[in-house]
Amino acid sequence: MALIAEHLALEVDRVPYLDDVSFTLERGRLHTLIGRTLAGKTTLLRTIAGLQGIDRGTLDLDGRSFLNRPIWERDVAMVYEQFINYPHLSVIDNVAFPLRRRGLSKDVARERARAVLDRVSLSGFDARRPSQLSGGQQQRVALARALARNADVLLLDEPLANLDYKLREQMREELRGLFSDQGGSIVLYTTTEPNEAMTLGDVVLVMHEGRLVQMGPPDEVFDRPATAAVAGIVNDPAMNIVDGAIEDGVIRLDAAWSLPLAPHMRGLALGPFRFGMRAIELELGDSDDVVGTVTFSEVSGSETFIHVDTGFGPLVIQIKGVHAFPLGATVPVAIDQDKLFVFGPDDRLVAAP
Amino acid sequence: MPRPYTVLKYGAILAWSAFVVAPFLWALTTSFKTINGVTGGPTYIPWLQYQPSLAAWGSLFGSTGGIDIVQPYIDSIVVTSGASAISIVLGTLAAYGLSRFSYRLGPARNSDLVFFFVSQRIMPPVVLGIPFFLMLRFLGLLDSTLGLVVVYIALLLPIAVWVMVDFFNNVPRQLDEMAMLDGCTPLRGFVLVVLPNSLPGIIVAALFCVIFGWNDFFFSFTLTFTQTQLLPVAIVALNSSVTPWWTLSASALISVAPLVVIAVLVERYLSRGHLAGAIR
Amino acid sequence: MADGERLPAAVPQPEATGPHWGGRARRPQPTGARSLRRYKLLFLLPGLIVLLLIILFPLLFTIRVSFSSWNSSAPGLDWIGAKNYVRLLADGRYWESLGRLAILATATVAIQYVLGFALALLVWREVKAKRFFRVLFLVPMMTTPVIMTVIWRTIFHESLGPANDVLALFGLPAQAWLTSSAPAVVAVMVVEIWQWTPFMLLLLLAGLLSLPREPFLAAAIDGAGPIRTFFRVTFPLMGPISVGAIIIRLIEASKIMETVYVLTSGGPGTATETSSFYIYIRGLRDFQIGYAASLSFAYLVIMIVSLTFIARALNRVLVTRRA
Repeated sequence: MALIAEHLALEVDRVPYLDDVSFTLERGRLHTLIGRTLAGKTTLLRTIAGLQGIDRGTLDLDGRSFLNRPIWERDVAMVYEQFINYPHLSVIDNVAFPLRRRGLSKDVARERARAVLDRVSLSGFDARRPSQLSGGQQQRVALARALARNADVLLLDEPLANLDYKLREQMREELRGLFSDQGGSIVLYTTTEPNEAMTLGDVVLVMHEGRLVQMGPPDEVFDRPATAAVAGIVNDPAMNIVDGAIEDGVIRLDAAWSLPLAPHMRGLALGPFRFGMRAIELELGDSDDVVGTVTFSEVSGSETFIHVDTGFGPLVIQIKGVHAFPLGATVPVAIDQDKLFVFGPDDRLVAAP
Repeated sequence: MPRPYTVLKYGAILAWSAFVVAPFLWALTTSFKTINGVTGGPTYIPWLQYQPSLAAWGSLFGSTGGIDIVQPYIDSIVVTSGASAISIVLGTLAAYGLSRFSYRLGPARNSDLVFFFVSQRIMPPVVLGIPFFLMLRFLGLLDSTLGLVVVYIALLLPIAVWVMVDFFNNVPRQLDEMAMLDGCTPLRGFVLVVLPNSLPGIIVAALFCVIFGWNDFFFSFTLTFTQTQLLPVAIVALNSSVTPWWTLSASALISVAPLVVIAVLVERYLSRGHLAGAIR
Repeated sequence: MADGERLPAAVPQPEATGPHWGGRARRPQPTGARSLRRYKLLFLLPGLIVLLLIILFPLLFTIRVSFSSWNSSAPGLDWIGAKNYVRLLADGRYWESLGRLAILATATVAIQYVLGFALALLVWREVKAKRFFRVLFLVPMMTTPVIMTVIWRTIFHESLGPANDVLALFGLPAQAWLTSSAPAVVAVMVVEIWQWTPFMLLLLLAGLLSLPREPFLAAAIDGAGPIRTFFRVTFPLMGPISVGAIIIRLIEASKIMETVYVLTSGGPGTATETSSFYIYIRGLRDFQIGYAASLSFAYLVIMIVSLTFIARALNRVLVTRRA
């Protein structure tokens, strides 16, 4: 079973919300969709659900057109970013609600609901009302309701975004276990966090400004980002991209700095390019290296992120340990040319380490 | 809070309370009077200024020499609840539509349609009195409860729409969406999800419908004569100089007593914050 | 739930006006929107059609009748052109009744607004037994106006009613309440004020209870006393609600007829004759239906036009002046 979209397009007030989006989602695989806010992720989900119409394109499930079926006849389950539960129903009836609509008797539906609530660690909460639960618990009820249906398509729109950090980490773990049991459905999970997309998904889709820019297994997207934009999106902190050029045998960053050409770049024509390097692959160097002026320094967990200004642009460096760097201090930055990504002037990837 | 301010505050409250209660107390005391308590000037305190008697209250239910208000009571209940129920059903449906969908009937859009519904209240009853009279005569519904129910629907439907549109605007759309995703058609979603979450609104709408329906005088006055008589008309018919004041007062009091209960209910919903939106 | 508390957190707050579904798209949409359209009509049409049937046709009929000379001696729908309208232009009694109505309605609504606002402020917060007083203050508007007016008629009786007794208590002379012009108008106003101030109270109190707390906390921190807080915070915030409440009350007040009918029958003479009452006399007492229809229609038009202007003016004064 597959959900096939072709050339979906939607324009609102001349702004492209979806721009020629095509993909194939298969049953039994967990697809994660990553992109910045306003990239079109929610629009895409709402289109699949039927809550949003489109201007052009087709959407078929197993060969039957999805688009002229009303919302209530598509078998789509959706978990919203802002957890939605039926306030007037108890937890167990919330989860049983879609099952009852499909004709199951009250008892059978409640049995199934109870089993699912077990899987999301909410056993014993049957009789409570959603308003009596915490945020994390409410989101789990919404999740249970979506899972209980074994729907054809399961959509999750940044489901963990409104939970606090620790809870998010915990639920991410649980989700992986839960989804592995959802063999029957096509699952599409959106997020803005690269971490989530990469660890959860079998297939990663990257959206940017309404376009589906890349789709593939996580390591492929990570190691071979199709464009500089993708590289920015799937790395956290975003990959550093600087403009430079390839001249005879060297990578020229600016008038003062150049690096020797790395092996994976041989074969590229001379000319202007854009170079990408991950924050974690930059290090503090010694006196021969590029000099940067510290503009900002931030500690997160047990790592320090230093933002520096160099002659050829700003860079973010990620180093282990907790260090303090005063504003305005100069630090040497060691750039390893073997780890550089090269993007053409049109932002497409031409060489990767 | 400085002292004189508090005194002023409670003084004002008590003063207005006295004004509110005055007519009821006067009617109450008058209802126990006989001819001696009325002629020669107003009297107030029983046993001191006049001899109290239960004559007036007795005559309310008796058939000899008294007035029958049981039948008008029943007629009022039938007409008011019938018209209110139908108005709420139709009005709630229309209000839901106006809240969720965008309409275009010719040049008119949603806000115009809401205005159309609500503006029916601008019509002075007298403007509609004549055409309703002729319309009911044409339909053979003059002097009947059914005729009144039809007319009252026109008066109460706008109220139901006015109250419910705002309530529905405060029910998040995502609930409707979730219901549709879970397999409900818009109608089932409306009945199973939206309505249960709008109960306060329906109750407020029902209260207002009952108040305005029960208290109408003009239409029941012009459109009924002998066979059907609603309570307000029955009471006013006593307003001739023939009926003694005590009977008048007793009948009046017993007619408005149930409405005090409504006041309690309205206050409860007011304090829960359910009325604010309708004002805007 | 305490006064003015918002919805519980479990229900996400909706956008004020969300996107509507099934609106007409710029291009035909190949989605399930078509079936949504069917439901769209299902919701709106029953109520709309019923209302149109019951109200619109009678209204159109009235307009048609206003061009006829239907009366008790010549019943039937003939055509006399605009003769009725010409007659009404010269009908002094009609225009006087309109003027009387304007003054009566404006005066009573103004008084109701001031009193209603004051009462709303009094029972808004921090008062003992405030819920009891709220119920008590609301009672008059729930009662049947005509029935209470019957009682008021006994109160205003010159010799046997307590009204003159109360005046004597304050050392004021007794009034011929229902038999002289000015006191009759005052009597009508007293009854209207008693009956409908609670309605104003209800609307304004609902508004007060819905106000956010922050501006008041800010004012308290800035050390503003109750009077300053009222004029700088409460009153401006209540602007739109005040306008709504006044308009609603004006609409209802312009229909005054029952009070007049029971209390004074328009008298003495025509001292308390409002437009509705005059139309009633012409139409349902004298049975000059054709002429009454023209009076009604003219009245409706005048009402709608005046109320639109009044609403706009009120908005300018009470709302847009405060940014």
